[in-house]
Formats: sequence, structure tokens, C-alpha cells
Amino acid sequence: MNTASGFIKALESGTKHLFIKRFTLRYPEKKLKFDGDGYQFDPKRGVGIAGLRGRHILFHDKCTGCQLCSIACEGIAEAIGMVKIDEHWKQNKKNIMPQIDYGKCVFCGLCVDACPFYALYMTNDYELSSFTKSSLIYTPSQLAVKPRYDGDVEIKIDSKGANHG
Amino acid sequence: MGSITPDFRFGNLVGSIIQLVLVILAIVTVLILPMIFFTLFFVPLPVVNGQVLTPYLFFSMVVDPSRTLPIVKFLMHTALFKAAIFPGFLFASLIAAATIFIERKLLAKMQLRVGPLYAGKVEGIFQLLADGLKLISKEIIIPSGADKPIFWLAPVMFVATSAAVVSLIPVAYGWVVADLNVGLIAAFALLGFFPLIALLYSWASNSKYPFIGGLRALHQMIAFEIPFFLSALPVVILSGSLNLTEIARSQHIFWNIFVMPINAFVFYISSLAELERIPFDLPEAESEIVAGWLTETSGMIFGLIQLGSYLKLYALSALFVILFLGGWYGPQIFPHELIPGASSSNIPLLKIIALDGLYNAVTVNSIFWFIVKTFGIILLMLITRGVNPRIRIDILLHTGWYKLIVLTFINLFVVLTLIYGGILGPGGMILPK
Amino acid sequence: MSNLEEKIDEAKKLSMQIVKETEADRLMTLSVGPQHPGSGHFRFVIKVDGDYIVNVDPDPGYVHRGHEKMCEYRNYFQNLPQLERPALHDSSNILYSYCLAVEDLVGINVPRRGQFIRAIASELDRLVYTQYWLAIYGIFLGHSTMFMWPAGDRELIIDLFERFSGHRVTHCFSIPGGVRNDFPYNFKEKCLTQVNYFEKRLKEYEHIFYNNPLFRQRTEGVGILPKEDAIKLGVTGSVLRASGVPYDIRKVEPYDIYDEIDFKVQHMKTCDSFARSYIPYLDMIESCHIIRQLLDKIPESGDVRVKLQGNMKGPPGESFKRVESGRGALGYHIVSDGASRPYRVKISTPSFRNLIALSYLLVGSKLGDMPSIYWSLNYWPIEADR
Repeated sequence: MNTASGFIKALESGTKHLFIKRFTLRYPEKKLKFDGDGYQFDPKRGVGIAGLRGRHILFHDKCTGCQLCSIACEGIAEAIGMVKIDEHWKQNKKNIMPQIDYGKCVFCGLCVDACPFYALYMTNDYELSSFTKSSLIYTPSQLAVKPRYDGDVEIKIDSKGANHG
Repeated sequence: MGSITPDFRFGNLVGSIIQLVLVILAIVTVLILPMIFFTLFFVPLPVVNGQVLTPYLFFSMVVDPSRTLPIVKFLMHTALFKAAIFPGFLFASLIAAATIFIERKLLAKMQLRVGPLYAGKVEGIFQLLADGLKLISKEIIIPSGADKPIFWLAPVMFVATSAAVVSLIPVAYGWVVADLNVGLIAAFALLGFFPLIALLYSWASNSKYPFIGGLRALHQMIAFEIPFFLSALPVVILSGSLNLTEIARSQHIFWNIFVMPINAFVFYISSLAELERIPFDLPEAESEIVAGWLTETSGMIFGLIQLGSYLKLYALSALFVILFLGGWYGPQIFPHELIPGASSSNIPLLKIIALDGLYNAVTVNSIFWFIVKTFGIILLMLITRGVNPRIRIDILLHTGWYKLIVLTFINLFVVLTLIYGGILGPGGMILPK
Repeated sequence: MSNLEEKIDEAKKLSMQIVKETEADRLMTLSVGPQHPGSGHFRFVIKVDGDYIVNVDPDPGYVHRGHEKMCEYRNYFQNLPQLERPALHDSSNILYSYCLAVEDLVGINVPRRGQFIRAIASELDRLVYTQYWLAIYGIFLGHSTMFMWPAGDRELIIDLFERFSGHRVTHCFSIPGGVRNDFPYNFKEKCLTQVNYFEKRLKEYEHIFYNNPLFRQRTEGVGILPKEDAIKLGVTGSVLRASGVPYDIRKVEPYDIYDEIDFKVQHMKTCDSFARSYIPYLDMIESCHIIRQLLDKIPESGDVRVKLQGNMKGPPGESFKRVESGRGALGYHIVSDGASRPYRVKISTPSFRNLIALSYLLVGSKLGDMPSIYWSLNYWPIEADR
């Protein structure tokens, strides 16, 4: 009798799930929503601010070309290289800025932790695929663009179960 | 979706239409015209209503409304139509295809996810077509040292045997491809051929994992054949005949499952084991022996074996319905005439629309209830797949050889008692015929 | 003295017999290799006599990537992304142990709120890892529903990780000195809602999997590891607790704030494969209780991180710290000679310790028991190979 009741309970549990809403997120028609603007770091207090670690954003009016981000990444992924730029900024005497190769970056965010001038943050943008390897290398002017990301779906838990959106 | 489609150009559309027309012309010229000439010259034409049915007579009859329907009715009762289209291969293949699709969607809903979604506009309904096209286009890899004749023949034999079992199943009264007087024994004899195919194929693959899988398939299918036909024995005793149509007709008062529920249960479990479905899919156990005796199948051979497997699923569910669930009997819900008063009026168009002479309310009703009951049993088999893990070989053999045979004997004694007590059977209080 | 030595003698006699019989073509050699749907990234060669397994030869090393050697070329912070890769699903725990060892070496005290956040991340990662392990266990036994439900419910916890650490799986969140960032502002309510719903979903697994008679027939009485042999072979984690030894590092050597948390150490006395598959499930329910207590007791505000230099130098010395991860005791032994890069890092992983029980248990069992024994040992091939 134990085996019979075990089977019946299993069948009942299985058929009960035929009436619960599906849990799937229908990407790419619907995208997830993120709170905040991305991962940022405050060098004065020494802690970060919670956010998604996506593509970097470089503020040209704050970067001084100190290469600390590149040095931090050398032991991890060697994804940041410094290149010469055409613009002339007052605080950037050597005229160099970081260029990030997203084919190698592991999105750990330790470069953001290393920047002491509030110049390098990470944003919510994670859709970075391309057709060639060379277009994955983002130049400093490409990194200055703030991405537009509009996702509006998050996990909702109600009496019938959990579902996305 | 997430793909990049090229821009629309009208020249490309015209070019592809012209290419399609040329390909159709080529096929018609090379294949269809010779076939028509061959038929006209060499095949003796049948006689309909006292006239030889030449193609010209055929076309003129089709155009004349009052003679279209008898032609269609004549065609529907030929042997070729019954074997190939309804209730034969095409009908069974459509049910098999619908089963595969429903299985994927049902399991997905049970697992809180979406099944096939993107192939076809409505919830992935063309997924099977896409899978079939993919399988046709793949290369068939034959292992070195494999036995080539058996390697190529075994999948074809598999589908042929499954189709043979399908041809024994009556869908309504008079609609069966092969009306044998020993239909039930023929079905069991054909089912006994499957372990041989599995063993031959696994041996011909010349590889270790198929070898283990083939041995397991052999042990499993042979162990469950005995409970399989022992559980059908009281049905034969009750109805007094081995003909499947007669067995179905003998249940027009009450269904057999009310008298022998244990036997129905044993038949269900044995058919799950014959079909190699979860929880009995040891011969294809993926995590231990890498797809078992199907390891070396690739491309269309895999497609053929899947088709044969699902044809067998339809055949065994239909057998369950005929033996235990009253075949095709059910309340009459179709009206006697499609348009009331059409057969006695004089307007030929109305007669054609009402399918006068072709539409038989009892037959359509039988087919409808048969399909409903078959799908009910198939649904039960699919839900069992969703909630159970796989069983181990020694527990399976223990169950098949000990427990199930004992259960069938219990129910056999109950039925025999009822017959000799004068309640059931010929000459009893509840007459079957 | 008795059982293990006798077994070793028997195994030696058996191996001589096996060599003779393989040449006589009676046994069949099967390679359950890396390209196999039943083995993960791990290869072992078994010799089969009919349906019984006669000899097992595990062959780890398919995924060896040299993590310990790579540690010598990176400083203490640059080691973090590559050290979390061996146990990627459990990354907070494998970094937790490293952080404790480095903090012990350098001699810093992590602020209280940082300790609580680290413990919450560690418990959540235990949930994520055990769900993944359960999913693969289901598919090894042919139960496709048991593959989809844990994989789907795991998304509830991964969503929480995305909110506070920034990534779904590769968090890189616990670092020497604390944690990288504080929780977002509405995290506590979301965490409690989702963890409560997660625990409610866990009750469904009892009906469809653990109380299913077919699953019980396959795992009860299979692969019995007696208590004395378990202690002698040196297995750890849920394998040890399923053999009747209530050993949990969070109770034996409490680290951070685990001495203030009240929880039970789940153990069972039946020593078979069913116990080894049931203990991680019970541990998950305990983790949910722990998370609720931690969220209750966490101080409202405070520092979460000690400010350290990026290329700090460790004073000469060594340190060893252990942590209870999803699979067992994970330890780091760090030797430093005063430079900014460690001199030697040794990772002691629970999977490698449990590997010895595989050859002990599989010999003499049926071929059909291979998946249920192998995966119930909680073996993660990448972590064992490092």
C-alpha cells in the first residue's frame, strides 16, 4: 500500500503542476529590469555601490590616464590597454585612455575598484555580441556612450506561483 | 525573434518563383508523366457501375455533381485507400505526429516551461516538420566493422512491423485494413518480433554500449510478453472470439474494464514495457549506456525508429481501447443527416454539400469516440513519463516474471467464476451480443 | 582494522584474477568517459562481468587548469576571479575560505555587517549549488521533471544574487577585507519573499522524487558506506553525515558569526545512497532557516569592508582555514614570504577527498547502480581537478 500511495501522490503532484503558470522569461521579447544604473565604486569610502556589472562607461572629463585600471587587469584578463587619443583634456597630461577588449574581459569589476578618480563605472548593458572579433574592442569614445536599456520584467510571486512579467 | 533577416527584394521573389515552377515542371516531366503512361498502358482499369473507369470517364464523373459522391465512396472502400490513408498508415502517422507534439507541450507545462515555440505561428506547431527536415539532411554514419545489410534493414523492418500491427486495428465497424479471424494472436505474434529487431540491430552496430542495450531490450520485452497476453485471455473467454472487430462489438452493453480492472492495469504496465517508455526505458538509458541500442543511429535512421516507436504507441493504446474500453461505442452525438431533408430533395448541389450517401452518422460517431478514447490512454502514458524515474533491470525482471503474472491469474479466476455462475458470457444474465 | 584491511587484501587478489580474466575475454571494459551523458567532466574505466562491476579505475585530470600555480603570479586581489572558477556554482564558498585565510595571514578584522553579508551570500550559494546537483541527479536517473524543477527554482536565488552582487553566477563578491558592496535598499523584503517561496517549492520534491517508490527502490540499500570506513577513508560533507557522523565545520570550528546562529546538523544512520541524496535536501531547508536568522540579526548599518591596498604585501608566514561548502570541507593553505604575491597556495577540495569512496563503493555493485552511487558522492569534477 505504501508503494501505491507513493505513486498516486507523485501523479497528483505532477498533474497539479499542469495548472500553475509557466516560469519562463520570454527573452528577447521581454527583458529583465534592473534596479540602479550599474556597478559603481566610491574611492573615498572604499566600498562599491550595488548594480549589474555590464559594459563599462568611461567619463572623459575625469580620466587622468593613470593606468591603474590596466595594471589591475594585467593579472586577471589583460583586457584593458591604454591608447593615445586625439582630444586634449586638462587633467589628462599624457593623452591616453583605456580601451577594453570584451573578448577577454570577465566582467569582474576590479578595474572599477582600482580607479581613484570616479571615471570608470559599469552599466546595465550586457548585449554585446558582434560578428567579428575586432569589433569587440571598444575604443574610449565608444566607451563614453551611455547605453539605453529598457527592460521591465521581474519575478512576481502570487498565489498561483512565480512567473516572469 | 533575435535573428537578422535580409531586406526584401522583388527580384529575389520573382527568381525564386521561377525556380520553383521550373523544378515542378522537371519533376512532372521526369516522374509523373511516365507514371501516367504506365498506368494507362499496362494496368487493367476497374469497372464501376457497369462501365470501365477510364480517366476520361473518371473526370467527367467528377465534374457531374450527381455522380461525384458514388465515385468518392467507391474510392474510399478500395484496399489501397484503407491501407495507405485511413485507418492505415497516414492516419496512424498523423496521430503519431500529434502525439509527439502533445507530449512535448504537456511535459513542458508540467515542468513549468514552454515547449516548442518558434516553429510556426501558433505555439510551435510546425516543430515536427522542422525536426523531420533536419533529420533528413543529416549524414548517416556507419561504424566501421558494422554489419551493413542489417544496419540498413533493421529500421525499415521496425517501421514495417509497427505498421503491420496498426493494420490490424479496427477503427469503426467495417473499417479495418486486415480483418483476420485470429486478429489478437496475430497482434501478439507481430509484437514478438520487436526484441529480435532490437537484438539484431544492436549486434550489427559492433560497439559495446549498443550491445548492453540490446541485451537489456531482449530481456525486458520477452519478460513482459507473458503478462501481456495472459491479461487479454479473459477478454477472449468473455467474447468468444479472437477477431478484434467481434471483441469490440461484444462490449456494446458494458465495457470490459468494469469486470477486469486488474487485467487492464497489467496490460497497461506491460504495454509501457513493450514500448520502452519511461519508467521502463532501460534499453535507451541515457546516463548509463549512452542511448543503448540506438547509439549508432543518426539522421533518417533515427527518424524512422522514432516513427515506428510512436506508431507502436498508437497501436497498443488502440488495442487497449478495443480490449477493455468498449472499442468505438459511445453516445450518438452526430446528427443523422448533415443538412436535414437533403436526401429527399431534388437539388443536386444540396445533396453534394450534405454528403448524401457518403456520410454515415454511426461510422463518424464511432471514429470520433475511438479517437477520443485512444487519446485518453495516450495521455495517461504521457503523464506517467513525467513523474517517474527509470527502473533498474533486476527490479523490472522481478516485477515482470513474478508480480504481474500472479495479478493476471487473480483476475482470470474472477472472470471464470462470473461466467460459470451464469452472470456473464453466452447464456448468462447479461448478454454480450 | 578489520573491514578495510580485509577489503584491501581481497582487492589485491581480485586484481590479479581480473588481469587473467580480461585476457580470457570474459570481462568487458567500458570507458565511462568525459564524452558521456552520465559522467560529467570525468573519466573512469570500469570492468564489467555481466551486470556486476568488478573493477573501477578513476582517472581524474580532464579539467586540470593549474589554478594553484597561477596563484603564484598574481597578487591577493587579482587571484579572486580565477580562484572562483573551480566551483563556479558555489563561488561564494570557495572564495570565503580564501578570504578567511588571507585575513588570518595579514591580520585584519572584518566589520560585523560585512561578516553577516558574507554569511548570507555563502548560504544562498549553498542553495544554488545543491539545486544544480539535484537537477543532475534527476537526469541521471531518467527523471526529466526532476531536472527542470530544481533548475527553474534556482532562478529565484540567482535573481537575488544579480541584485546585490551584480552577476548571476560569477559573483566575485567576498574579498579579503569584507564584501565589495552593500545590499541595495529594498533587498531584505525581496530576499525574504523569494526564500520563503523557495522553501515552499522544496516541499514538492518530496512527493515526486523522494517518496516515489521507483526512486526509493533504486537508492535504498545501494552503496552502503559503514561509519568506521567513512571515517577511515576521510570522506567529508554530506557523504560523512549520511553515514551517521554529525560533523559540520560550521559547528566544529565556527568562523565569522556562525557561533551565534542556531541550526541543526542533519545526519542519517542508514549509510546508503538514499541517505546521501536526502541529506543535501535537508541541508537546504536548514539553510533557509539560517538565512532568516541572519536577516533578522544583521546590524542596520555599518561598514562592510576594510580598506586595503590593491597590491598589499602579506607578512611572512602561513595560514590554513576551512569552510563548509556545498560538498564538504574546503580548505586553503597559504604560504607567504613577504611579497605581494603568495608563495604557495594549496586548495584542499572536498570532491577530491570523496573520490576514494568511488572505487570502494562501485566494486561489487550492479551496472545499473553506477549513476546513483557516483553522483550521490557529491563529486564535482572541476573542483577535484583544479
